[in-house]
Amino acid sequence: MNSLTRLPAPMGLLIDRERPLRFVFDGQACQGFAGDSIASALLGSGRWLLSRSFKYHRPRGPLSLAGQDANTLVQLPDEPNVLADMEAARDGQVVEGQNFNGSLEHDRDAYLGKFSRFMPVGFYYRSFYKPKGMWKVWEPLIRKKAGLGVLDLGFKPQYHDKAYLFVDVAVIGGGPAGLRAALDAATAGAKVLLIEQQPVLGGSLTYARFDIAGTRASHLRQALLDAVEAHPNIQVLLQATCNGWFTDNYLPVIQHTRLYKVRATRCLVTAGAFDQPVVFRNNDLPGIMLTSAAQRLMKLYAVKPGQRAVVLTGHDDGYLAALDLQDQGVAVAALVDMRAAPADAALASELKRRDIPLHLGSTVYEALHDKGLRHVSGVDIRPITGQGKVGTQGLRLACDLLCMSAGYMPVYQLLCQAGGKLAYDVVRDAFSLSNLPVGLAIAGSVNGRHHLDNVLADATRAAAEAVAALGLPAPALTAFGPEAKVNFPWPIFPHPKGKDFVDFDEDLQVRDIVNATRSGYRDVQLVKRFSTVGMGPSQGRHSALPTARLVAQATGRSISETGVTTARPPFQAEKLAHVAGRAFDPYRQTPMHRRHVAAGAKMMPAGIWQRPAYYGKPDERERCMQEEARHVREKVGLIDVSTLGGLDVRGPDAAELLERLYTFGFAKLAIGRTRYALMTNEHGVVIDDGVCARLSEQHFYVTATTSGVDRIYQQMLKWNAQWRLDVDITNVTAALAAVNLAGPLSRQVLATVCEGVDLSAEAFPYLGVRLGKVAGIAARILRVGFVGELGYEVHVPARHAERLWDALMQAGAGLGIRPFGVEAQRLLRLEKGHVIISQDTDGMTHPAEIDMQWAIGRKKPFFVGKRSIEILEAQPLKRKLVGFTLPKGSPQPLEGHLVLDGPDISGNVTSCEYSQTLGQIIGLAYAGAHQATPGMHIPIRVEGGVMVNAKVVQLPFHDPDNLRQER
Amino acid sequence: MKILTCPLNGPRNISEFTYGGEFKLMPDPARCSDVEWADYVFNSDNLAGVVTEWWLHNASSYWFLAERHTVSDQVLRTFDPNEIFDRRVEFTPAANPEIAG
Amino acid sequence: MTNLNTQAFLSNGPQTCALTDLTDLPRVGFRGSDSAGYLQAHGYHLPSLPNQALRQDDGGWVVRLSASEYLLLGSLSDQGARVAAQEAEWVQGAQRNYLLPRQDSHAWLQVSGQHCSAVMAKLCGVDLRAEAFPVGAVAQTSAARINVIVVNVASEGVPRLQILFDRPSLAYFREAMLDAMAEFDGRLVG
Repeated sequence: MNSLTRLPAPMGLLIDRERPLRFVFDGQACQGFAGDSIASALLGSGRWLLSRSFKYHRPRGPLSLAGQDANTLVQLPDEPNVLADMEAARDGQVVEGQNFNGSLEHDRDAYLGKFSRFMPVGFYYRSFYKPKGMWKVWEPLIRKKAGLGVLDLGFKPQYHDKAYLFVDVAVIGGGPAGLRAALDAATAGAKVLLIEQQPVLGGSLTYARFDIAGTRASHLRQALLDAVEAHPNIQVLLQATCNGWFTDNYLPVIQHTRLYKVRATRCLVTAGAFDQPVVFRNNDLPGIMLTSAAQRLMKLYAVKPGQRAVVLTGHDDGYLAALDLQDQGVAVAALVDMRAAPADAALASELKRRDIPLHLGSTVYEALHDKGLRHVSGVDIRPITGQGKVGTQGLRLACDLLCMSAGYMPVYQLLCQAGGKLAYDVVRDAFSLSNLPVGLAIAGSVNGRHHLDNVLADATRAAAEAVAALGLPAPALTAFGPEAKVNFPWPIFPHPKGKDFVDFDEDLQVRDIVNATRSGYRDVQLVKRFSTVGMGPSQGRHSALPTARLVAQATGRSISETGVTTARPPFQAEKLAHVAGRAFDPYRQTPMHRRHVAAGAKMMPAGIWQRPAYYGKPDERERCMQEEARHVREKVGLIDVSTLGGLDVRGPDAAELLERLYTFGFAKLAIGRTRYALMTNEHGVVIDDGVCARLSEQHFYVTATTSGVDRIYQQMLKWNAQWRLDVDITNVTAALAAVNLAGPLSRQVLATVCEGVDLSAEAFPYLGVRLGKVAGIAARILRVGFVGELGYEVHVPARHAERLWDALMQAGAGLGIRPFGVEAQRLLRLEKGHVIISQDTDGMTHPAEIDMQWAIGRKKPFFVGKRSIEILEAQPLKRKLVGFTLPKGSPQPLEGHLVLDGPDISGNVTSCEYSQTLGQIIGLAYAGAHQATPGMHIPIRVEGGVMVNAKVVQLPFHDPDNLRQER
Repeated sequence: MKILTCPLNGPRNISEFTYGGEFKLMPDPARCSDVEWADYVFNSDNLAGVVTEWWLHNASSYWFLAERHTVSDQVLRTFDPNEIFDRRVEFTPAANPEIAG
Repeated sequence: MTNLNTQAFLSNGPQTCALTDLTDLPRVGFRGSDSAGYLQAHGYHLPSLPNQALRQDDGGWVVRLSASEYLLLGSLSDQGARVAAQEAEWVQGAQRNYLLPRQDSHAWLQVSGQHCSAVMAKLCGVDLRAEAFPVGAVAQTSAARINVIVVNVASEGVPRLQILFDRPSLAYFREAMLDAMAEFDGRLVG
C-alpha cells in the first residue's frame, strides 16, 4: 500500500498534509503527517499489527482509536506502555512493539494461543502457586511472557509539576453536551473550565454521523466552537484527562507534564459513552474495530480503514457509519443488524438506494482470517435464533474491515468514584447513573441521551441547574424529543471453539467468565479477582458490560444486582512523575546557618531543621565529636541552639497557665530564676520538657523541645480555649536565635561582651536568668547545665543572630573557643544522664519511670497529667530508665537494641555512645524495675544477636555532684 | 479533597487543618472515680451520627469546634469554642483527697 | 476562550513576575483585647474584620489576623521607620496589649506582576486571583507546605501579593517561589 495515500479533505481534521514526518516502528520506516497519532500514521502506512496480546500473543490492531484499549500499547525509547492512538507521531521517533519474542511480526510465542485450553481461567493461581515457593521460580518467566514493555533505567527525569485551578463550573468532556453546557453556563456569567482529552473540541461531532445527508455534525460543531472561542468566560484544557473525582469537586487533571488540581464549585460530566464491542469468535483480529474507531480513522486522520467492510451493529448509528464508509470509497459488503429492524426506517431505504446489503436479525458468528491471524479476511454471518444463539446455516463474506458496535456504556468511572450508583435499565438495556453528590451532574450520552437534539437539551438543563446553584440566571430550557434504544440486549455469541473475547487486554473468553462463576465466584468483584477481567489497562471499558451480563446469566440474577466492579482513581494510567512532580520538602535553617557552613560544618537534619552535626570532614564524625566534647569539658565551646522551642507566656494568669500545663509549681518562682519544666499529657505520659524562666511578674519564657514546640504551643492554645485564662501565649521559636556558651571558660568569654549583668557566681547563680546586652544586643541570658559545664544560653532577636555569633567567637578567640555540633552536645548531655524527650521517652513513659518525680508539684489542685500520674504511681512500677556502662572495646549497643530479662524483653536501649571523658561506653536503657538497681547487670542483645552484659550505674555518669555546672 | 469551613478563615482544604479529637468535657479530676477518669482519657464514643470535634486551623493556630455526621462525613456547623467555654474554668483541690489507685 | 497549554506555559514570556525580599523591612505585631485601642491611639487605621488589611496613609499596611491580633507592615516610603519606632517604644504595662516580634519570627516576600496569582496557584490551595482575593484581602494558609500569611497589596493596577512566613524557612520558600516563577521568566529583584 502506498504509505501516504490518504482520503481527501474534509477527511483528516487533525492532520497537516503540508508537514509529513517519518519515524521507525518495529525496525521499519513509516510515514505520517503532523497531527497523526502513532497508530493513525501506522494504519495510514498499511500497518495494522500494533501489538501482541497479553496471554496468547495474538496479533492485535487498534480497537477504539481513542486511547480506550490496550491493543495499541507501544514502547518508546524512554517510556513503555504508551498508547499509540493517543501519542502524537513525531519526526525521527523510534517506536517498538511490546510483548513479543523475536519480532512483532513473527512472534515465537504465538504458539501459546494453541495452548489456550491448557490455560484456563485462574490458570496462574492454580498452576504456579503449588508447591509452596514455586511462584518465585515461575514469576520471572511469566512476567517476561506476559510483559508490558521495558523501563529505561538510564532515563533523564523530566520536570513535572502541579497547579491549582479555580473555576465556578468544570465541564469534563468537550463533545456536543460539554460545548453546549459550557456555553450556557458561561453565558449566565459563570467561569467555566472545559476539559477535553483529544487535541480538538467536538467529541462525537468530530467523527460521528448524525444524519443521512452527513452535514449536521460539522455544522453544529463549527457553530458551537465559534461561540466557545469567542467567550471570555471559558478556559479550555485540551489533551487533558480528569483522572479522578474527589470530595467537593477536587479534580486532578493531567495535561502534558502538569497535574492541575482543579477546584470547581460545580462539576458537570459530559464524558460521553464507550462504544461497545460484540462478542464472537475471533473478534480481536486486526481489521476488526469499533465502528466509531473506523469513523475516527477517516474523519480525524483521512485514513481509509479498508477496502471492503462489514458493519455489525445493534443500533442505528451503524447504518450512518456504513454511509460514511461508502462515501469514502470503502465497499460495504453487508450491514449486519442484530435487531429485527432499524428504529429509523429511512436508514434501511438509504442502504437499499446505495445497494448496501442489509442482514436483519443476524450477527457475525465468527471472523475469518488469513493463516497467521494477521488480519480479518471475512465473516461468517448467522441468523440470531435466541439469546446468544445462532442458526446453523450462515453466509460467508470476504472483507478486510469489520466494524462493530453493540451499544454504548456511559463513561461511569468518575461518577462511581463520586458515589454514583449504576443501575441497569431493562427497558433500554443500558446502565444508568444516579445518586450523584450535590455539585456534580451529568448530561449527554453519559446520561443516556443519544439523540443529538436531546444531548443538547440535556446539556442546557444541566447547565441551568449548575448556574442556578451559583445564583446566576439560568438559560431557557428546551424540550426533549423521543429517544431510540441504542443497546442490543445480548450481543454475546459464544463459540464452541472459543476465542470469543470478552476482555481483550487479558485475553479472556466467554467461557473464562462463565467458568469463574462455576468455580464459586458469583460476585462480580470476585470474578474480577479470579479471572483478572477488567484489570488490564482499559479497566473494563469494553469488558464490564458483557461481564455483568454473563455473570448475571450464569448466576441467575439481574444485571443490576450483578453490577460492575468498583471504579477507583485514576481513570487512566498516570505516571508516578505526575504524582511526585514538584514535591515540597520544607526545611528550616537557623539564622546562623551561613556561619556554620563557613566554619565547615557537616550539616544534619534534626526534624525539619538543618543543624551542624560537627565541624569537620564528613568521614571524621567520631574524631570531631570527641574533640568538640572534650573542648567543652576543658575550655569553652559554642553551639547554636536556635532550634530550641521558645514560648512567651504573658499576662495576669501567666503563672496560673504554667501551673496547669506543667508538672512543677511556677507560681512562686522568683523573678530572675528558671526551673525545669516537665509536661505530661492527660494520660500522664511525658510529652515535653524545657526550662521555664520568669522574666517578670507576668512574663515567663518557656523553652520546649525542637520537635515538640509546635505541638506544645497548639496544645496550650487548645487548653486555654477551654480555660479562658487571662494570658497571651506566643511562639517565639523562630523569633529568638540562641547559643549555648559552655565550658569552664565560658564566664570569661561572656564577660568581655556582656553589659549590664553581673556574671559572678554569687550575683548570677546556676538556674538564674538575666536580661542584659550581649554585643550590644538585647538578650535573655539563662544559666543552664545541659552539657554539665558552666554555661550560658544567650537568646537574642533572630535578626541579630550572626552578630551575636561573631561577637562570641571573637571574644573567645584568645581562649580557644570552638563551635561544637549536635553530636558532641548529645554525648555531653548523655554523660550527664539528661533525658531527651522522645529519644529516651516513648508513648508510655510516665515521670516515675525516668526518675522525675522530683519535678512534680504535689500540692497543686490540678495539672494536665495529675490524675493519671496519681493512678499510675499507685501501681507497681514495671520498668525504669537506667544508666548503663560497658567497657571500652565491648560491642556497642545501638538505639533500639533490646534489654532482656530471661527469655523476655524488658526494655530497650534509647541512647548509647562511647565517652572519652569516662573511658567507657555509656548509655540509657529501659529495664525491668527489678533489674534497675545500680550494680545489677542487664543483658542487651546487640547487632548480630550478640549478648552483652551491661552494668547498671547511678546517673549522672559524669560529675555526680554537679560541681562543674554550678560553679 | 474535602473542604472544611473555618469560623475564622472560611472554606479551606482539609489539609490545612489538624483534627483535635472528639469534644468531651473533663470530669472533675479531684472528685471523679478512677473508672470515670480512665473512661474520659481512653475511651471514645465512636458514634454513628453527629459528633462534635476539635479542629485546628494550622496556619492561624485557631481552634474551633465542628459538628460532623460520621456516616455521611458532612460537617453541619463549625463554631468558636467560646460558644461553650464562656468563662474562666477553675480547679479546686479535693476536699478529702482520696485516690483509690 | 483561553486555551490553557502547559507546554506554552513552559516557554519563556516577557518578564511579568518578580520576587522581592522585604525581610529587612520593619514589621511588628500586637495582640490582646487592648491592642485595637492602642494602635488607634497611635494613629493607625484598623481593618474592621479579621483577615483584612488596610493601607495606611504612609503606604504601610495594617493586617488584622484575628479578633484581637494586628500585624503592622512597614512602608518603603520611610524604610519602615514608623513601625520600627512603634516596636522600640513599646513597654509592656497593665494593658492587654502584647508585642509580637514579627520582624524576627517572619520572613517577608513580595511577588508582583500579572502572573502572581498563577505563581501562587502552583504553591497554594487558596484562590488568590484578584476576583476572589481583592486588594486588602488576607489569607492565613499553607503554601509549598509551610504556613503563610498572604496579603493582596496591589496598587496602581500592578498585582502584588506579600507573603509572610516563618523566618527559618526563607531559603526554602524563596527557592520554591523562584521555581514556580521560572515559567513566567520570574526572578528576584531588589
